[in-house]
Amino acid sequence: MRKLFLILVTFFTIQLANAQPSGYQAVKDLPKFKEQFSTVAKKTETIKSDFTQEKNLSMLSEKITSKGKFWFKKNNLLRMEYNKPFEYLVVLNNGNMYVKDKQKESKISTKSNKLFQQVNKITIDCVQGTIFDNKDFVTKVYENKSSYAIELSPTGKGLKELFSSINVVVDKAAYAVNSIEMVEPSGDNTLISFTNKEINTPIPDALFTIK
Amino acid sequence: MRCLLLSSCLLLLFSCKTAYKELQPANGDIAALEKLRPNFTSALYKAEINVTGHYLSGLLLIKKLPDNSTRFLFSNELGLKFFDLEFNKDDQFKAHYVIKQMNKGPVIKTLKKDLELIMLNTKTTGVPYLRKDANSLYHIFPKVKGTYCYITDMEQKKLEAMEIASPRKPIVHAIMKNYTNGIPDTIGITHKNFNFTIGLKKLERKIDAAE
Repeated sequence: MRKLFLILVTFFTIQLANAQPSGYQAVKDLPKFKEQFSTVAKKTETIKSDFTQEKNLSMLSEKITSKGKFWFKKNNLLRMEYNKPFEYLVVLNNGNMYVKDKQKESKISTKSNKLFQQVNKITIDCVQGTIFDNKDFVTKVYENKSSYAIELSPTGKGLKELFSSINVVVDKAAYAVNSIEMVEPSGDNTLISFTNKEINTPIPDALFTIK
Repeated sequence: MRCLLLSSCLLLLFSCKTAYKELQPANGDIAALEKLRPNFTSALYKAEINVTGHYLSGLLLIKKLPDNSTRFLFSNELGLKFFDLEFNKDDQFKAHYVIKQMNKGPVIKTLKKDLELIMLNTKTTGVPYLRKDANSLYHIFPKVKGTYCYITDMEQKKLEAMEIASPRKPIVHAIMKNYTNGIPDTIGITHKNFNFTIGLKKLERKIDAAE
């Protein structure tokens, strides 16, 4: 019986140690991937795209879907405009966050709020290609025929309470971010998928102005 | 000394008067209130919360699960979960998750009472009774702490307001209106003893169908 228990523990430990996204395997040439990802990111001045956000609630068998428009501009300028099924605007501008819904608009300094600071950093790092420099996470990279999957595991206690991992899928051909998935310790997750991407089209600074 | 005793008795007598003392006794079927109980099979609301000058917005999902429990899950628009609360089939309350910043006894207790009120949880510790004024019928349910009161029209066809009262006055006032298939379109909760309001507006979830 003890032997069986030991075998099972060893088996599951190996399984966990080798846990990787379904359909992916560990990237063969990690330095090359990092270099190319960083090179493309350096050339990326702006990103404009549509997004779909799906909040999956595993225990409730529910999915909350919202849609909107996304804009990014170097450095540290980001705008997410939700328009379905509700209207909501988020602007990140060099450490400040501006949110607006139908009722109210408010300005939040991400510098004084650790949570917003982290969310700000992760989003910018993902689209800017500097995610591997973020010391708050341990990163692993996997690949399949068409994409790379970057798995970010938080190291700090505060982030661990919010996320068990953050998974970023990068298109292999263009090295552009296809989706960002935030997995919570409960198993629930939020998946943001980017479509109709336009890279380096001019975006006016006024879109990121915080009043 | 006799004077002091008399004043104490008067004070005690005064403090024992109920919030609904001025109302007239009424006859009728208090169980008819059941027909007005909301049927939260699955509903998503845009939520706006004002707490002592702080504004919080997000999405509140209310869902009845196959085991007849009802879950209240509140997250912000970006997908960050604030709380996940449950009333089981026997109306027992359980907090599955509450974000650290909100995980405080009085906050959870207040939320529990507010949600109990809008679910028309009429489990009572005393004998429920009916009262009336010129236009409305008051369904009064004494609880361990305070009284829950549901105000309807005289025909008991329309729920006009809901209240939680201390022994002397209503301290929470709530409304639910514009029902479709048992699900209200608008819910409002106002606390009278401190600055705390909750506003909920139902969202249309089939966003692709609207395109």
